[in-house]
Amino acid sequence: MPSISRRKFLEQSVTAGAGLAGVLASRVAPAVAQPREISYLCWNNFAPASDKKLGEIGQRFTKDTGIKLKIDHIAAPQQAAKYASEVQTQSGHDLVEMRMHVPWLYEPQLVDVSDVVGDLEKKYGKAISSAREAAFVHNAWRAVPQYHAQFVCCYREDLFKKASLKVPDTWEDLYTVGKELKKMGNPLGISISQNFDSISTGYAVMWCHGAVEIDKDGKAVKINSPQTTQVVEWYRKMYRDCMEPEVLSWTDASNNESLQQGKAGWIHNPVSAYIVARDKKLVSADGINHHRSLSGPAGRHETDAPRSIGIWKFSKNVEPAKEWIRYLLGKKDVYDEYIMSGSAFNLPVYANMQDHPVLKTDAKYAALKNEGAQYHTYGWPAPPSDKVQLITNSFILPNMLAKAVTGTATKDAIAWAENEMKKVMAG
Amino acid sequence: MAVGELRVEAARRPPLVLRIREALDREALLGPLFVTPALLLLVLLVAYPFCMAVYYSLSNAFIGRPSHLTGFTNFVNLWGSDAFRQTFQNAFVFTGASVGLKLVLGISLALLLNQQLWFKRSIRGAVLLPWVIPTALSTLGWSWMFNSLYSVVNWTGLALGLMSPPGPNWLGQKYYAMTAVVAVNVWRGLPFFAITILAGLVAIPKELYEAAEADGAGPFARFWCITLPLLKPVLAIVVLFSTIFTFSDFNIVFVLTHGGPINSTHLFATLARMIGLDTGRIGEGAAISLYLFPVLAFVVWAQLRFVRRQQY
Repeated sequence: MPSISRRKFLEQSVTAGAGLAGVLASRVAPAVAQPREISYLCWNNFAPASDKKLGEIGQRFTKDTGIKLKIDHIAAPQQAAKYASEVQTQSGHDLVEMRMHVPWLYEPQLVDVSDVVGDLEKKYGKAISSAREAAFVHNAWRAVPQYHAQFVCCYREDLFKKASLKVPDTWEDLYTVGKELKKMGNPLGISISQNFDSISTGYAVMWCHGAVEIDKDGKAVKINSPQTTQVVEWYRKMYRDCMEPEVLSWTDASNNESLQQGKAGWIHNPVSAYIVARDKKLVSADGINHHRSLSGPAGRHETDAPRSIGIWKFSKNVEPAKEWIRYLLGKKDVYDEYIMSGSAFNLPVYANMQDHPVLKTDAKYAALKNEGAQYHTYGWPAPPSDKVQLITNSFILPNMLAKAVTGTATKDAIAWAENEMKKVMAG
Repeated sequence: MAVGELRVEAARRPPLVLRIREALDREALLGPLFVTPALLLLVLLVAYPFCMAVYYSLSNAFIGRPSHLTGFTNFVNLWGSDAFRQTFQNAFVFTGASVGLKLVLGISLALLLNQQLWFKRSIRGAVLLPWVIPTALSTLGWSWMFNSLYSVVNWTGLALGLMSPPGPNWLGQKYYAMTAVVAVNVWRGLPFFAITILAGLVAIPKELYEAAEADGAGPFARFWCITLPLLKPVLAIVVLFSTIFTFSDFNIVFVLTHGGPINSTHLFATLARMIGLDTGRIGEGAAISLYLFPVLAFVVWAQLRFVRRQQY
């Protein structure tokens, strides 16, 4: 046995002790022994096949890089609270999938990922405007644009043909068609409740009528206008003559279900309602189709819902997290595979990918080209901001509409919304 | 010799086990020892979050941003919000209706379960089921039963000719929605009332009823003059607990209506979650959740005082 001097023993003991103390104090294992593991929080995608594909890609990523990836899914309505609790406790997932202007809301908590987006833009072209609006915050990318879901008009083509109804081109045409559909037992399905679909449709109707919530300067609340009055009156007659009170209790999934189960004759939604009906081989699937967005006195405007991936600053695995984003979105074949798995619900967000093969996989996706329609994210024409996201999360727009259709005078409902929005803007 | 003395000393000291046993025999040590774990849990899981909530409620805290104390601004400003005023009203309607119904139905069910019934034990076990099933899970079942598209309640009502098509929109119209959340709360809380009251009924001496019967008292007189007075302490405790739990209910409203339509079913807990987490205004959210604390503290004090007075 090799001998060891007393001096040497003391030296080694002190070194080992200091090392151990360092590890304990920092609560981080030494790099050599540390398993590289990251966690990723996503929503339950309305195109479920894409969640399955994400899991498969994740497994391949682990195999190729040695980085373990844990993917968790939660329902969309719970995302906002989950982000908040992770930020407040400074613990949770390394990566989070974000929607709308959430990167603005949590800007100070998100890692600058401009390097990752820069590489992607070199490869695929610039990120589309809605994706940039959502994730490019004060001259830095706070999340990496991932995909977007466009709203279109989903309708029961078979019922329209049966009743010789003309496919509507304006929101007023929709009223005419809606009255007939309701008589046939297939009412329109436009949510007027505390969910995001209600906001997406509400914005589209408002923009087409020239109504806005906040001015272009992003400061003045402009909802109290004659144009908003027109919108509220339109909703009032739609609710009365073309819909059933069920729309006041709907979740984001309810309009999809109503169309899929053969009740609703027309809904405003991304193509997910059709995708699920087709994949589950529901009897309604063959009859469902999409038509271009509707127009109003102020033109043809439509809602775009971009999604992006952010990395929390509290994450101890920023580099492995970036590596996952580069793997999922930076490898053309992997990104394509992911986009294809979501049918045309997850559409690519980079300029050179806009004519993606996914659009040609089904003739019923033709309406997604939607020529002549202008796409905007929530809050337009106000510049993106945390305030826009707070107005969204407070569901002021759907509550204003719900108040009006259930009896509150139009001017009172609008005044209420104006007051609520002013409070958010002042806060 | 010094070494020899030390050995003698060591031999005289009792072994460690005995010394520990002796120490544990002393109440001054054993009492605090038993209380410490519970105290630690209370401090960590109740006192600390409570103090944090008080701090947040007195500040302009926003998720992930620096904050500073603003005094009672949140509490004052909340009265300017019609969602909060609506919630305040909802909380009293929801609690009043739910606790009232649970009390009446609970007493009735307990009286029934106290009778000589066939399969008495199985029935008593079955009655507890709504109380045992996790609330979120059972409420999810109810949300399907009230769903506008799939409602089995409406389907049954229409099939029996009790409703006209398309039937009530349970979760989309404010009075129906409140009825729905109250109904689910009553369904879930009824076993707690029934079983606790049943325990109180069983404890009432049979001789009192026999004597009353001999004096010619009918069933109503026996209930009014014997059962109800002797049940008062139990009822006070059950109502106290139920009032607190119902006021602070979250799951039923969150799963069933999310506080809608137009905030007509929001309770303090669901509104606090929406404001504090969904919109990030955690200071305001904390103020909402603490708003009723003084009122509930008074209710607890008053009812416990009543219970002490009722002791025989």
